[in-house]
Parts: sequence; structure tokens; C-alpha cells
Amino acid sequence: MRNLIVALLVCSTNLLTAQNTAVSSNEKLVFTAAYNMSGIMTDLAEVTMETQSVKTSKATLLHLKCKATTYSKWDNFFKIRDLYESYVSPTTLKPYMYKRDINEGGYYKFMQYKFKHKSNTVESLKRKRRKDGKTWDENKNISIGPSTIDIITTIYQIRTLNLDGASAGKVFNFTVIFDNEEHKVSLIYKGKETISTAVGRKSCHKLAIAAQTEVIQGSNNNLLWLTADANKIPVYAKFKIPVGNGELKIKSASGLLN
Amino acid sequence: MKVLFRILGLIAAVLAVVLSVLPLSNLAFIPAIAALVFGLIAFLMAKQQQEPRKSIQLIFILTIIALSLATYKSIFNESEVGNTEELEKTEQKSEEEAIEELEELDLDDIDIE
Repeated sequence: MRNLIVALLVCSTNLLTAQNTAVSSNEKLVFTAAYNMSGIMTDLAEVTMETQSVKTSKATLLHLKCKATTYSKWDNFFKIRDLYESYVSPTTLKPYMYKRDINEGGYYKFMQYKFKHKSNTVESLKRKRRKDGKTWDENKNISIGPSTIDIITTIYQIRTLNLDGASAGKVFNFTVIFDNEEHKVSLIYKGKETISTAVGRKSCHKLAIAAQTEVIQGSNNNLLWLTADANKIPVYAKFKIPVGNGELKIKSASGLLN
Repeated sequence: MKVLFRILGLIAAVLAVVLSVLPLSNLAFIPAIAALVFGLIAFLMAKQQQEPRKSIQLIFILTIIALSLATYKSIFNESEVGNTEELEKTEQKSEEEAIEELEELDLDDIDIE
């Protein structure tokens, strides 16, 4: 499931200077994640993407939150309760803090990155659970590129891309930090397509995701459809990972900016 | 040959029943269809040779049970998210901790109020 989520989420951008005209502070998108079992797409989990404003004494940040929860019928087999969070600038979607708390079938892992943009470093904390139930921490300082961002910010930054004037084949490059490593990810614009979704029939921008990682396979197997409107919400995604393939379909969308 | 089809039919029918009671009930359709095909072949063979058809009847009964259960579950069982109480607590705790940690972070370069 971790691979599945990574595959779905690894699609990033380096447009740190891009202005956010697509993401509001009270948005909620709900998706159904399905996995191909012997040729039959089976609904496995619900994925929720939420945003909200968070105030500190110095600034107001946008809290981006992605949750993955298996449906109750699967909980006895393989229970997943994953939480991915990022705290970003509401105007540029520049990340300041990233958190990943995953609980998948008894496997627990926590990752936290604090972005130090002035020094281009990330203060990383990794927490894992031993078999005896005790946890251990690993702290690291990692040098990153000036445009490196986390995976959650990436998903939201894709929505700030100017796709209206894009021609098929145009490539958008991104650098994503995941598991303390930087990964180059490319989004290839494939053109427009109209598809039927739970939120209506939508004209969409179709993008292919390619990355130099083991998780994402091929350059045309991982596809993402964003609505071709000002919100550019992801409505459908297809993914192929080493352990199979699946899809992500939108179930509901609320609190949209435009 | 006829014994082979009866055995294959029975195995497929039992597999279909087992799958139909599990959350993987959608997968039960595959062995159920296989069981129907094997059962039909075995039935036609038994009819030609006028042999007892008790085991074939069993294949069909099991297959019908599996198909009924799988169909019922696919129509009426809606996927619902399980207990998320723990996750909600994690979310709340995480946010509280994050705000504290964000206070310590250098947000001077932030482009907002």
C-alpha cells in the first residue's frame, strides 16, 4: 500500500515561484483507491485530501493533509491508517514542514522534514517501531536543491501548473524528497480528454508521470487526469507499481476555490 | 475424463463459495463460471452414459450459492471506512506538535502575513 500511495503521489513540480490560484483553505477531496485483483478492480481504501489554514505567531500557513484508510472489510486482513501532511505557504505552496505517519498492517513509520530554505537543507527525523513495540529515532540533516519539495506539496503544486497553453509532449520536471532521498520526477502533458467521474463529466488535462524510481514503472503506465478548469482537481489516476496496478477515482469534492 | 470434470467442477465450486464469503467476493465470479462450465460438461457426459448425477448437482448448488452471495454483496454491501478514532487522535496530536515546531522554524522568508 505504501508503494501504491507513493506511486499515486509521486508527481511533482519545481515551480516554487508559482502562485496558488487553485487551492483553497477549506477544500476536501475524497477518492476511492482500487486495486486490480486477477483482472477485477476491487475497492480497497478511501483517500482523503484536505486543506485548512493554520496560524502560528509569525504567519498563517496552509495545512495540506492526505489520509489513506482501508475499508472496514479489509481491516482484518491488512489495516492501513496513513497520514501525510505538509505545511506550506498559502500563496506559493512552498513547504516548511512535512510529516508522514504510516501504519500499514502492523508496520509503523514516521518521517518528518523541516525545510530550511535559506541553507537549502532539510532536518529529517525518522521514527520506526521495533518488534518489541519500542520506537527508535534517526535524525539527519540533508542537503537539498533549491526546488526540492515533499510529495504532498508536489501534488498540490501540480495544480498550479499552467496547462492551458501546454502542447502534448511538454515536460514538467520536479524534484521530490522521499525517504531522505531526492527523486527526479517528470510530468508529461498528454493533452485533453473528457471523462465521466462521480462529480460529473469533466474535460481534463491528462498527464503521464515518469520517475527514476523502482516504484513508478514505465513512462506511460502512471497517468493523472486534472480537471481543465481553474481548480485543476485530480479526478482520476491510473498507476502501475511492482506489485500490480490500480486506480484512484474521485468520490466527492467540496470547498473548491473557483 | 468425466471424473476429471467432476473433480475440477467441485474444486472450482468450493473455491467460489470460499471466496464469496470473504471480502474478496468479487473474485468468486471467476471460479463460479469455471465450475458452471465444468459442471455442464460433466452433466452432458453423464447424460450420454446415463450415470448418476449427484456430484454434478452438488457442483451446481455450490455454484448457485457462491454466485448469489457474491452478487448480493456486490449490489448491497457498500464500502465503508473502518474505525478511524486512532487516526483522528494522531491527526490532532500531530497538528498540535506541528504548530509548536513551526513556531521554532525560521519563517522570516515567508511571503504572507
